Amino acid sequence: MVTLEFYLIVAAILFSIGVYGVLARRNAVAILMSVELMLNAVNLNLVAFWRFLAPTELNGFVFAVFVFAVAAAEAAVGLALIISIYRNRQTVLAEQINMLKW
Amino acid sequence: MLTFSPVSVSFFIMALFTIGGGLGVVTTRNLVHAALFLVLSLFGIAGLYVLLEAPYLAVIQVLVYVGAISILITITVMVTRRLMGIEETYNRQWPIAAIISGLLGAGLIALVVAQFGALTPVADVPVDNIEQLGRAFVTHQGFLLPFEVASVLLLAAMIGSIVISRDV
Amino acid sequence: MTGFEAAAGDLPLVLQIVIPIVAEIGLLILLLVVLTMDLFTRSTRREAVGFVAAVGMLIIMGLNLVISFAWVNHPFFVENTVLGGMIRFDMLATIFRTMILLAAALACLIATDVEGLGRAGEFYAVTIAATLGMCLMSASADLVMLFLSLETASISLYILAGFLRNSETSSEAGIKYYLFGAFTSGLFLYGLSLIFGFTGTTNIYAIAEPLAALLDEGATSGVLGVVAALLLILVGFGFKISAVPFHFWTPDVYEGAPTPVTAFISTASKAASFALLVRVFDVIWPDAAAVYWTGLLAALAVITMTLGNVLALVQSNVKRLLAYSSIAQAGYTLIGVVALNQSTFGVAAVAFYMFMYVLTNIAAFTVVIVVANQIGGDDSQDFAGLHRRAPGLALAMTLALLSLSGVPPLAGFFGKFFLFSAAVDAGYVWLAVIGVLNSIVALYYYLVLIKVMWVDQAVEEGPLSFSTASSLVLWVTGAGMIIMGTVAGPWLGWAITAAENLTAMVP
Repeated sequence: MVTLEFYLIVAAILFSIGVYGVLARRNAVAILMSVELMLNAVNLNLVAFWRFLAPTELNGFVFAVFVFAVAAAEAAVGLALIISIYRNRQTVLAEQINMLKW
Repeated sequence: MLTFSPVSVSFFIMALFTIGGGLGVVTTRNLVHAALFLVLSLFGIAGLYVLLEAPYLAVIQVLVYVGAISILITITVMVTRRLMGIEETYNRQWPIAAIISGLLGAGLIALVVAQFGALTPVADVPVDNIEQLGRAFVTHQGFLLPFEVASVLLLAAMIGSIVISRDV
Repeated sequence: MTGFEAAAGDLPLVLQIVIPIVAEIGLLILLLVVLTMDLFTRSTRREAVGFVAAVGMLIIMGLNLVISFAWVNHPFFVENTVLGGMIRFDMLATIFRTMILLAAALACLIATDVEGLGRAGEFYAVTIAATLGMCLMSASADLVMLFLSLETASISLYILAGFLRNSETSSEAGIKYYLFGAFTSGLFLYGLSLIFGFTGTTNIYAIAEPLAALLDEGATSGVLGVVAALLLILVGFGFKISAVPFHFWTPDVYEGAPTPVTAFISTASKAASFALLVRVFDVIWPDAAAVYWTGLLAALAVITMTLGNVLALVQSNVKRLLAYSSIAQAGYTLIGVVALNQSTFGVAAVAFYMFMYVLTNIAAFTVVIVVANQIGGDDSQDFAGLHRRAPGLALAMTLALLSLSGVPPLAGFFGKFFLFSAAVDAGYVWLAVIGVLNSIVALYYYLVLIKVMWVDQAVEEGPLSFSTASSLVLWVTGAGMIIMGTVAGPWLGWAITAAENLTAMVP
């Protein structure tokens, strides 16, 4: 049997990888992919908590389903914005896109 | 605790996919490769969902993330392909970023290990779990309101994405 | 799904469902009307869509007010969360919904004059979707609903900030807002998932008890866990209300986004976030955690108002100046949130302050739009000699700036007075003192801009003309500022009812 902590550890590692990507990458598409990693880590957290702590309730499960919906909408809007700025400036790796400098 | 069993072996394989793919996403210079690593990582998560007895979420994960979002990202990379061969992937602060995220990861791991130790499930997943989910989405005592709000969100996102990225 | 049957009494099922979300139902219908109308209106006359959206939102605001006053004290709504525990129907939600809808309606009105927005039906549609999300934010009682409504509002706002696809600054504002927002919402969500893990429930009214049990055990990991969740959640809120150190996006986005969108983000979005912040922090943290969150928020309030005011001193662009001023205003408002733990007056002060802030900031940004449209810029020298060219505009801007700085007899005076007295009431005298000192610093840069408008010589002469929509907005907000500043009593009474409503529910 794999216990709860192992899933949570995987989620925590994936989450910090995502945070690292957001802070360190310069390319907006790469930052967006890193954000997707973070959201997936959270979802893994939610599903693991649901399975181990409250499997008979729906709340955690439903929470994860809505995170999917939000992530899809967020990715679509983000990529549209990236295409828009690319059209205007022919670049998506502007120095301004630098999360730590803001 | 961990014992040697088919489940724990598959857990480790899936965890390896997830974390290895994640590392690939943030370290590769080539964005198309990064997108492929993302697919690998998300696929690993889908496997973990199966192990967590949430096959429904595993299917959504494959459809929505591996199917839709990764394709969308790949297309964006192709459209903005002039940046594919860029020299520098990281900004100058990457060591600080590494320290911040390393500390964050260590802290979170310590926290979850201390707090959630070796827990085993408190109960089995009800067999009619998905049926309950379906009902909850359409009853007012369940999740009808968020379900409807999610549809408004998707509508707004669709309209917005089209308007912003339209080439007129 | 807590106790839905309890105390339902004589209230028919349809009313149980419709009354709490009458504003959202109205907005959804309006969204469809606007989308359909956009198809059947000639492209030269599409401003009409904006007027329909604005009028529709004002009607919804009125309807929601009437229904709230009629039903909010019904035992069913007082004792329960509704719609499967997703939302609460109380006066706090009503007062914040009112200001959100008002801000959205006024933003739509001023957008009708703006090139690239005024004739785009989709702009109004997305604005309505954002408004719907914000209205639900002010009523959410469940982590699922809270997250979803927050994201509905945020994602719509990313779209609106980057809406002018041919403008480099707008696209850049959109992408910055998006990347920063998506990152912080990831952190926020991790915090929510920890809360779910600690308590096993997503109903915010049921969270405090297991959290208290966790803290009572006294284990270090439990305490650290709660603090970690608190920090992660604060990052999300800090971004939404643009509190320092999560404010980096604010000046660039405020400057780059289309001005009606800036007005909307700086007012409605901030009000909705404060509504959520007040409800969540009042409800989910047990008494044992109060020391952590009040301490953190007090520190956040101090650095936010101080840094916001200091940086505002050196701005030459009026939109950037208003951005830093709005950061400082968020700092003042946080004082009220800190105070809410010891005194219900804190919540009332936050509600009152946000209401006045919404009116005031909309007025200021309307003037910025008119000036930018006619003179072609929004730097402070573009405002030079404004009183000669458009006395009404100069007067409205002066009122707005004086109200923001808290000069009587304008609404801002009572706003600050209530916030600081709530702080004193709750035993945070030092926080009130820092707030007063900051207000004095802030007075300086507001007065400089007022001097530019009334004393400096204009580069060009000739009167400025502005549309009926803008002058309507200025009349409404100006009147609001003066009324709230002279007859503050009824408004404060309303805010106090809302505050008492919030604490009335016993889980």
